[in-house]
Amino acid sequence: MTKILEFQHISKSFPGVKALDDVSVDLNAGEVHVIVGENGAGKSTLMKLLSGAYTADGGQMLLEGKPILHNNPQLSEQLGIAMIYQELTIVPELSVANNIFLGHEIRWGIFLDRKSMEARTEELLTSIGVNVSPRTLVKNLSIANQQMIEIIKALSKNAKIIVFDEPTSSLTNTEIGELFRIIAALKAKGVGMFYISHRLEEIFEIGDRVTIMRDGRKITTSNIANSTLDQIVEGIAGRRIDKVYTRTYLEKGDVALAINNLCGERFKNINIEVRAGEIVGLAGLVGSGRSEVARAAYGIDPYSQGEVFVKGEKIPKATPQRMSAKGVAFLPENRKREGLALSLPIRENAVVSALQWLNPGGVIRRHKERKLVQSFVDSLGISTPTIEKLTNFLSGGTQQKVVLAKWLVTQAHTFIFDEPTRGIDVGSKTSIYSLMDELVGRGAGILMISSELPEVLGMSDRIYIMAQGRIAGELTKDEADQMKIIQLAFSQSETTGEKGGAA
Amino acid sequence: MSTAKGNGQGRLCLLDLPNSVFAFLLVFILASVLAPHFFSPGNLSTLLLQASILIILSIAMSLVVISGGIDLSMGGVLSMCGVIMALCLRSGMHVLAAILVGVVSGAMFGLLNGLCVTCMKVPPFIATFGSMGIAQSIANTLSGKRTIYWEGGSHSAILDFLGGNVIRVQFGIEASTIFYVPFLVVLTAVVVGIVIFLFKRTVLGAYTYAIGENEEIARLCGIATRTWTVLLYIISGMLASLAALLVLIRTNSMQPTSGEWLEFQAVVAAVLGGNALEGGKGSLYGAIFGALTLYVVRSALSLKGIDTSATMVVIGGVLVVGMMLNELAARHEKKLLGKM
Repeated sequence: MTKILEFQHISKSFPGVKALDDVSVDLNAGEVHVIVGENGAGKSTLMKLLSGAYTADGGQMLLEGKPILHNNPQLSEQLGIAMIYQELTIVPELSVANNIFLGHEIRWGIFLDRKSMEARTEELLTSIGVNVSPRTLVKNLSIANQQMIEIIKALSKNAKIIVFDEPTSSLTNTEIGELFRIIAALKAKGVGMFYISHRLEEIFEIGDRVTIMRDGRKITTSNIANSTLDQIVEGIAGRRIDKVYTRTYLEKGDVALAINNLCGERFKNINIEVRAGEIVGLAGLVGSGRSEVARAAYGIDPYSQGEVFVKGEKIPKATPQRMSAKGVAFLPENRKREGLALSLPIRENAVVSALQWLNPGGVIRRHKERKLVQSFVDSLGISTPTIEKLTNFLSGGTQQKVVLAKWLVTQAHTFIFDEPTRGIDVGSKTSIYSLMDELVGRGAGILMISSELPEVLGMSDRIYIMAQGRIAGELTKDEADQMKIIQLAFSQSETTGEKGGAA
Repeated sequence: MSTAKGNGQGRLCLLDLPNSVFAFLLVFILASVLAPHFFSPGNLSTLLLQASILIILSIAMSLVVISGGIDLSMGGVLSMCGVIMALCLRSGMHVLAAILVGVVSGAMFGLLNGLCVTCMKVPPFIATFGSMGIAQSIANTLSGKRTIYWEGGSHSAILDFLGGNVIRVQFGIEASTIFYVPFLVVLTAVVVGIVIFLFKRTVLGAYTYAIGENEEIARLCGIATRTWTVLLYIISGMLASLAALLVLIRTNSMQPTSGEWLEFQAVVAAVLGGNALEGGKGSLYGAIFGALTLYVVRSALSLKGIDTSATMVVIGGVLVVGMMLNELAARHEKKLLGKM
């Protein structure tokens, strides 16, 4: 094994924060080096030093024994370092070929050599088995294919080092398998890879070594073969986490939310029932229509047929206003875009849905607001010095709690969570889970949409599995296991028809 | 299940046309039916000549808008460059030298805009709004707020040639029956052709979209985003000075207020052409049809004897309607993609 890259005693500070403190990590050729840690542990900062987006305050980086001086994005690219970011770095209005060669086009003098670029793109696309035309505009591709383009981009630059930053967060299981196949191929070619992920299960599948980071410091680097999940989780959190999932199962109450025979553009004949005191999981592959069903039932997107009942009362043409007035809360997947006003403080976010009943007559009673919000901040364990802190500066987990507080203020009794823990670190995940358990304990009903099977299995009383816009099956917590869910999620529509009748 | 097939390949090409093409066809047919003499050789020739100036400006505006910026200074820069060129001509300078001085002045203002936006981090709206004021004041000061004329000297042959027609076909005695293609229209076509060629066949287009979509991404791809942004503003300034040349030749004089409202019209044309002001989207063709649409409306209104001050009302309305059309088109597209 040859060392291709070495970080030596790297330090980096931002105003008020020491982002990296004396970090030393190395990377071998043909190795997948996993880096784990909570949000803000310094993983991304370290990688941004490598990509040249930041400059280190202290320490040095050695590429094949030679120090990298005055790093910048252009230089790091020339040195053969490529980044696959969590957020896609593609330009939707440009073609596949143009995207792949963006910044390093093949040219004749100043003119583009389109033929060569398209031919080379075609070659790269077939080499990893993606069947799209190089001329297709990228905006017309699926998210998974868009990500493949990122990887091809790195390949086209003959990268020696590739950094993957949460590459699987928007992929389905098949696509993840595909990605891992590509990573294995890169490994065989001798490419060194850093791999950042919150999905700890993945690490064991593809990693060679793992480095745990916490609060800007490196905790340990160890061989994956000699590590266990518990050790890693413990290292990340800095304390022993006894159990990730907390559930106390209770006697179920009445039906809180019922979706009857709902049909829409991307789903058909959906029947779902959520009772008070239970968590119902809605599993399935990305694109199977899970979020679409929930969004339609909440009236965010239109549906063509079917009925929605809240506590036995039929809601004519569901709209978000009507649903929230009836005590149903929706916590969207994209907290930043749909769940919070980031430039406003916790207090304003928490009371925004309740302004009307909190302030009859339209005059704001600030004192009353503060008392109420403070009580929820305390009971939810939102870690913040003051309720006036801007939500922009909170971590993902804390933001999720603020969204929850917003609904608790309105006294909601049924909650729809769309991917409640996406992009949230392990420590906060656990506290979100215990919050959900507490809600159910208070008699709330929860419909939880999730792509993470362990989460679905660990938290749900019952699980609906969707495939291709239909409910492919329903399992109780005792019946359910990983295999059965995956089988149902991959089932074709013919078999779905039969099973759908039974479910 | 998601498959590895792109779903945009078999789509109708008709939908890919910018909606200004349809807007143009619509107003053109309406104007031909409703306005007397609109669909006459003479009027169409005049229309094309008048629209040329805006076509050049709206191409420039599109470049900047697709990159996520805006150039409000082009009207002021047009006035200033025109005045400078006119003064050079009056002082007896050679025509080509005068044009060169004008184009360099336009480029300098573009450079100023570009540096303000990239190095000083001034929002483009403010930076170019400011330089519009500066450029217009320079135009007013240099000209003493009077129209500038010049004596036709030894070099006036070039100007006369540029002001002439390439083709002139007479169908009757009246002015409206004469079809002509002025050299200025050809010049416009050449300029537009060069810009579009560079946009499509060099990295210019791809980089412009990339910077407009997300500057950070473009930077991480190794694109020198600041340099390219500055370059786009310089191109915009140079095109504004070429538009000034067109004005100068067409009127055989230069008013210091020639550029007024032109930046506004260029924004309208760009928006009609489907160029989203948030950047990353749009096309140059779209803007050309946007500019043509505006001039069809103007021409039809003036033929109907409607007061010119009312045209601004209509153009403002067109802008808002154009925005709504873009929004509708985006929604329609989403729906189509959703079904696949």
